[in-house]
Amino acid sequence: MFSTNKERLDSTLKAFAPIMVLVVLLAVLGWIQPSFLSFYSLRVLVGESSVLLFLATGQTIVILFGGIDLSIAALASLASVLIALSVHTAGAPGLIGVLVLTTGIGAAQGYIHARAQVPSFVVTLAGLGLWSGTALVIAPATIPVLAGYPVVGWLNSRVFGVSTSFAFAVAALVSIMVMLRWLPFGRYVYAIGKGERAALVSGIRVVRVKMLAFALSGLFAGFAGMEMVARTHSGHPTIADALLLPCIAAVVVGGTAITGGSGGLGRTLVGVLIIAVLRVGIAVVGLDPGYEPLAYGIVVIGAVALTIDRSKITIVK
Amino acid sequence: MMEAVLRIDHLDKSFPGVQALDDVSINVGANEVVGLVGENGAGKSTLLKLIAGIDQADSGHINVRGREVSLHSVAAANDAGIGMVFQEQSLLPNVSVAENILLGHEKEAIRFGFYDWPKLNQLAAVQLGKLDAKIPPDAQTDTLSFVERQLVEFAKVLAIEERTHHEPLILLDEPTSVLEGEELETVLDQIERLREHASLIFVSHRLDEVLRVSDRIYVMTNGRCVAERDPKQCELAELQQLMLGQALGAEYDRKVTAHAVTEAATVRLSVRELRRQGCYDAVSFDIHVGEVLGIAGVEGSGREVLCRTLFGAEGVDGGEILLDGQLMCFGGCDEAVQAGIGYVPAERRTEGIIGGLSVKENMTLAHLEEVLLGPFLDLKREKEVASHWVERLQIRTPSAETPATNLSGGNQQKVVLSKWLMAKNLKILIMDHPMRGLDVGAKAEIFVLIRELAQSGIGIILIADTLDELIALSNTIIVMRDGYISQRFTVSETSPTRLQILEHMV
Repeated sequence: MFSTNKERLDSTLKAFAPIMVLVVLLAVLGWIQPSFLSFYSLRVLVGESSVLLFLATGQTIVILFGGIDLSIAALASLASVLIALSVHTAGAPGLIGVLVLTTGIGAAQGYIHARAQVPSFVVTLAGLGLWSGTALVIAPATIPVLAGYPVVGWLNSRVFGVSTSFAFAVAALVSIMVMLRWLPFGRYVYAIGKGERAALVSGIRVVRVKMLAFALSGLFAGFAGMEMVARTHSGHPTIADALLLPCIAAVVVGGTAITGGSGGLGRTLVGVLIIAVLRVGIAVVGLDPGYEPLAYGIVVIGAVALTIDRSKITIVK
Repeated sequence: MMEAVLRIDHLDKSFPGVQALDDVSINVGANEVVGLVGENGAGKSTLLKLIAGIDQADSGHINVRGREVSLHSVAAANDAGIGMVFQEQSLLPNVSVAENILLGHEKEAIRFGFYDWPKLNQLAAVQLGKLDAKIPPDAQTDTLSFVERQLVEFAKVLAIEERTHHEPLILLDEPTSVLEGEELETVLDQIERLREHASLIFVSHRLDEVLRVSDRIYVMTNGRCVAERDPKQCELAELQQLMLGQALGAEYDRKVTAHAVTEAATVRLSVRELRRQGCYDAVSFDIHVGEVLGIAGVEGSGREVLCRTLFGAEGVDGGEILLDGQLMCFGGCDEAVQAGIGYVPAERRTEGIIGGLSVKENMTLAHLEEVLLGPFLDLKREKEVASHWVERLQIRTPSAETPATNLSGGNQQKVVLSKWLMAKNLKILIMDHPMRGLDVGAKAEIFVLIRELAQSGIGIILIADTLDELIALSNTIIVMRDGYISQRFTVSETSPTRLQILEHMV
């Protein structure tokens, strides 16, 4: 019913908590290792986060309507393989072709989820198997990119001192932010996330909205694959697979509710930076990188517990 | 004065911007039925929630059988002998009646970690026996009718008696709001029977019921308990007056019939031999410009499904729907909305509004094209449109940015209405129980609104809560029984009586 003063304070705290976490993390790391706060290392840090930023952006759109995309990292890996194979012969049109394909794959997953009423985590879990399987079949090992590299290589340059890929990822995120705020599509995404039945009865084309959200998720998986090729000069069938958990962690630690309908891409940007700093931090304090997934796991559980919209949940499965 | 089972002294409870309860003191005697009436937002639900342990008071005292208690959780309230029957039924559909009745307290019927089924059924039968209900304890719950399930809820609450060794205090939050006719009688009879085993607080919007069942009535307005009445010396009109703090306007005089619709008026919607397997068959009717078509029928008569079909939410197996002479074939709600049909669903909280969205966002959700500038949302215009409707329908909300969930039921319903009214092409408005769960004042407002809408030329299909409302609002009434139209009435100088309609319903 009504929110109490305490709840209101809580929600204000929650709104700023991710930024505070980021600042505290940076401060602690700067204290342990002062050189970490240098311009150079921060630049490396953001450069490292572009793949994660692409994935987390795609993931956010799906989570906002109340779904989840578990296939996004596998699709990015598949994209890296396809891009590595196609830029050789087809050049830029080949790259665009792959992006169109991943977008279509995303849309198809969205259609199956919405039309056949299969929970999104089931559809995309199956997708995870399908796309990583396909990638492994096409390319059992690393595919080096030599002749066609300039098609993706521009991502590896710098504009105004920051890496082009990061600038591109932020620009892409901002354009989706604009879509979510100023286009009916955005309103529909939040409406479905907050109350799908009422959205349906209001005449919203729920299937279409979900398809579009998943299509965007597929497109951003393609972008992530593209950036992977640019960074490693190659395509690899499992290159992005390990980023699934971090990308979900970034979304939820930014404060977007896993239950859908609340949060946004500004929060995801902060979330991605938190994860990136966390990752560097693990290295700085001298822990084995094997501890990384452990940290993501804790972050996911902690952040979800804090941000979940309990009023929407009747049964927890 | 009997010994008080429950005594509440000076209870206060506030939410941001709202004093929900202000110095409320009531008491309930043993085996007494206490009625609690008041408009939506008067504080009845808040009070019940405090007593049931769902919410906690800011200050004040609650005494149960002379001992002060702290009702910090539902379990604590249960231990104090207090149980609540919820508005929305809270039974598990896929287990037996006995399991539901003893849910969470089946210890006695467990041997070596396993259910002792005969014992469980016997324990449940004891509770059902108190109600003289002929429901087999081993029946699966979802095979029961709505009323039977309500009785199981009662039995579940009665089981508190065995655990606390006291007769329980039962809180009934609108147990009758979705019932009609015979089913209503069954539940009211059961309330009489409950009285022999328990003390009751009964909340209902139907004042005649409250007058009939209660031993004492408290009237609440604006979070205060303003009056205490003996139903034997109190008239319906007096209660209404106390609730509203003023006399009801002539607007709510149900004898005033809707404005006349001329025979010559153009047909808006024409339904021809519509059929849906297992739901309804051979349904034909016309709705003219400005006409209110009321549909009467019991549950299962097919009228709800028919309405959902006309809104594109269900398919058809045969027949035609013509809107302004054009053949319609709705593949989904979105197509119906595009064509100019609006739908006010009975399930306001899940289908009508989206609680987490603001009043403004709820209003424009169905027709965002009205506030578009090119492909983009014109947020300034949206704000203007929303304020216009807040003012036009006198929606009581701090602002258009307030989450819709913070509004009272009547104001939420107005938000749902404005969602459809803002479309310039609105032709047909389907209203499924538009006044369900609303208090007298809000009902009167919606009532007037429906008339105004009809006058403006919109065709209205109405399923009402009571036959009185249906008769008062409709120009034409069709009665449905078992999926067929069993009778048609034209409401003019001579309205059909409730009895006449009822005859064709069952």
